[in-house]
Amino acid sequence: MSPASLDEALVAAAQGGSAEAFSRLVERHQQALRAFLRRSCGDWAMADDLAQETFLAAWSRIGRLTTGASVRAWLCGIGYNKHLTAIRSAGRERARGAVYQAERDVTVDAAPEDKIALERAMADLPPEQRACVALCLAADFSHPEAAEALNMPLGTVKSHVSRGRARLCQALGVSDDAS
Amino acid sequence: MTQADDRLKALFALDDAPALDPAFSHAVMEQVMRQRLREEVALLCAVSVVAAGVLWLIWPTLQPVLVAVSHWLAPALGAIVVAACAAIILGARPTAALGLAT
Repeated sequence: MSPASLDEALVAAAQGGSAEAFSRLVERHQQALRAFLRRSCGDWAMADDLAQETFLAAWSRIGRLTTGASVRAWLCGIGYNKHLTAIRSAGRERARGAVYQAERDVTVDAAPEDKIALERAMADLPPEQRACVALCLAADFSHPEAAEALNMPLGTVKSHVSRGRARLCQALGVSDDAS
Repeated sequence: MTQADDRLKALFALDDAPALDPAFSHAVMEQVMRQRLREEVALLCAVSVVAAGVLWLIWPTLQPVLVAVSHWLAPALGAIVVAACAAIILGARPTAALGLAT
C-alpha cells in the first residue's frame, strides 16, 4: 500500500471515529509537522505545543478533509494558522524577536556557525516568507502544495521562496546560483 | 538541485524531529481522548436535560397511564428483570456459574 493510499485509509477510519487510526496519522506526520513549525517559529518548545494544538484541531476537523487531499499539507496549513495566531497574541511576540533559538541547545554536524547564521537569517524573514521557505526548501513541498497548505496564491509562494532563498544564501555566504 | 540548495537542506535537516516519538504521540492522543470525553459528557448532559424537560412536560399525561398499567405490569416486569439478571450472570460464564467448569 502506498503512503498516500495508507493515509487515505487512515483518514477514512478516523472520520468514522477511530482514535487508533488517528493515532497512526499522528505517528506518520508528527515529524514533518514539528519540523515545519520548528523552522517557522524558531522556538522548539513552542513549536511542539503548536503541533499538539494542531493535531487536536485536526481531530475535530477530520470530517472536513476531502478524499485524496494531502494530509501533510493539511496539517501544515492548520499549524501555520496556529502559528500566526500565536504571533498575533500578546506575549508571544518574542517568536520573531532576536532571541530566536538563542538558548537552544543544538547538536550540529555541520559547521555551527553556518547553523547559527541560518537561524538568524530565518528569524529575520517575515513569517509568511519563513513558512514558504520551511515548506519548499526544507520539506520538499512543491510550490502548488505549499500554496494550498498556506492558503496563498501560487505566485506569492514562488516569490517568497525566491526572496527567502536569496537572503539565506547571502547569510551563509554561498552563491545563489538559482537566481 | 543546486549546491546552495543541498547546503540549505542539510542545515535545515538539523531541525528534524525524530521519525518516531512515542512520548509526543502519546501526549497528543491523551489530549484527543480528553477532548472526546469532554464532548461525550457534554452531549450526555444535553440529552439528559432535554429528556428531563420532555418528561416534565408529558408527566401529567403519563402519570395516570403508568398508574393504570402498573397493577398488571409489575409482576411481568419483575419476571423480566430476574430473567435479564440471570442471562447476564449466566451468559458471561454459564458453565462456571453452574459449577460445570473444570
